[in-house]
Amino acid sequence: MTTTRLTRYDRSMLRLMNDRRGQALYSTAARRRLTVAVHIALTVAIGGLMTHFFLAKGEPLWPAVAMVVLLLPWMVATGIINGATRGLLELREHVLDERQSAERSRVVTRAHRMTTLLLAAAATALLITGGVDGDAPKAYAAPLLIAVLVVHWIMPLWVAGLWAQDEPADVETPEAGALGH
Amino acid sequence: MSEQVHNRLAMVRAERKVSRQSLAEAVGAHYQTIGYIERGQYNPSLDLALKISKFFNLPVEALFSLEPFRPLTDEVYGRNQP
Repeated sequence: MTTTRLTRYDRSMLRLMNDRRGQALYSTAARRRLTVAVHIALTVAIGGLMTHFFLAKGEPLWPAVAMVVLLLPWMVATGIINGATRGLLELREHVLDERQSAERSRVVTRAHRMTTLLLAAAATALLITGGVDGDAPKAYAAPLLIAVLVVHWIMPLWVAGLWAQDEPADVETPEAGALGH
Repeated sequence: MSEQVHNRLAMVRAERKVSRQSLAEAVGAHYQTIGYIERGQYNPSLDLALKISKFFNLPVEALFSLEPFRPLTDEVYGRNQP
């Protein structure tokens, strides 16, 4: 963690990710699970609206407006999960200590396994649909691919949020901003 | 696969009046990592264990052991283990 000199960006990100002002939002496992559930729901909603916006022809702009409106709570939920994980996935590798690096590897491995299962399920669904309706794979392949890509991108964050541990009661919480190495 | 490594870190840190944050900064770790080590939820690497020992100017075996530590009073007053 300190073997490499931290840049100004690293220090500011470290401070931001360890800022405890929003701690109440992710202090318990139930709250973290709720945040991840909300984040998943918002991601699905935004993805659905995006698909609708690009595929539907001659539609009004309301899906785009709704998408922009939903992006704000999505970003807040992302921030809460990042706070809960102390920036496990946002901080650069050399900023993390050995425990955090190992934790990041575990999270990425779990996310990879889950994404693999999801890809297998998507491929199976596409093949089954193709058996019923020959044009279906061609019609659904692109949206499905984009959906899987988005899930592949965000899955580590969800996994990290779900696996994050409670701040132990006996840990002295540093003052906000006291982490400027 | 991972074996429990026992440690006296919390006791020594309290005795020396060093905060987790200060120790973490000195050894290049996150303050939570120090807490996890103290509670036996994380076994430090040899590198980190040596850095912590060096910080307290103690031999590494004074802080970390594969066997549970005897109570300090027993060691000081020489009581035999039952």
